[in-house]
Amino acid sequence: MVATETDNIQEDLMSRLDSAVSEVFEMMLDRNCAPLDTEVDIDERITACIRFSGAITGECLVYASQTVAQIAAEALLGTVSEPSDPMVDDAVGELCNMIAGGWKSKLDPSYAVCLISVPAITRNPVLDLASHPGVTYNRCYAFQGNVFGVSLAF
Amino acid sequence: MRALIIDDSAVMRKVIERALRQAGLELLEVLQASNGEEALQALRADKGVASPIALIMSDINMPVMDGLQFLETRRDENLAPGVPVVMITTEGSEPFVLRAIAAGAQGYICKPFTADQVKARVLPLLHAA
Repeated sequence: MVATETDNIQEDLMSRLDSAVSEVFEMMLDRNCAPLDTEVDIDERITACIRFSGAITGECLVYASQTVAQIAAEALLGTVSEPSDPMVDDAVGELCNMIAGGWKSKLDPSYAVCLISVPAITRNPVLDLASHPGVTYNRCYAFQGNVFGVSLAF
Repeated sequence: MRALIIDDSAVMRKVIERALRQAGLELLEVLQASNGEEALQALRADKGVASPIALIMSDINMPVMDGLQFLETRRDENLAPGVPVVMITTEGSEPFVLRAIAAGAQGYICKPFTADQVKARVLPLLHAA
């Protein structure tokens, strides 16, 4: 089957996302992180959302189970925390911030004129991009057997 | 020395503090601010203190007052003159970097970062100050 231009664009976008996610985990958490071939259902989510505005209009979501978010927070901070600790939510927000910013930095410079919002973070399970009017791209990643998801929509 | 870390994320403030300590800085006190306005209040209160703030690390994207507005207001009010300011932010595009430098930032680190990058950017500025 011949790859369409849309397929190539999607592959390019996701490749840049994979690179951004990998950099964040290697540099900030000292963990290897790899994309998964399939999407995984994640319950009891903590979700962080960043909005892009300007040359790009859209959103980036990072979501993880409370347990995985706690593990990521501990790796980031170097200290142990409880799943209910507000710092765990904050950690997901910062991961979203860095992944969104890193992905944006890998785009063509013409897209650099784009603002990113501060992250909005919730444990409300209804926050997702299912009803987003544009195109949505989803990817799950794993580090040390722990799975989290990233969604891009614009 | 005393440092001021400005970021709306409490996690990131802790991460930056940890990186500064890993860089070998002996931090007697770390003041924290979650936005530019809080940071300005901290600097105003620091005037005349025996051991004033000697290093400022600041994010750009923050609610209430962002890091660029903080830099420009700090410059206009002549707060903590001569104290090195290092921006530490996801905003790595040229317009932001240029505006930060024009407003008085001496260093710029893009998130994500390593402790070694913080050390490499910060220590030369402190030696020169």
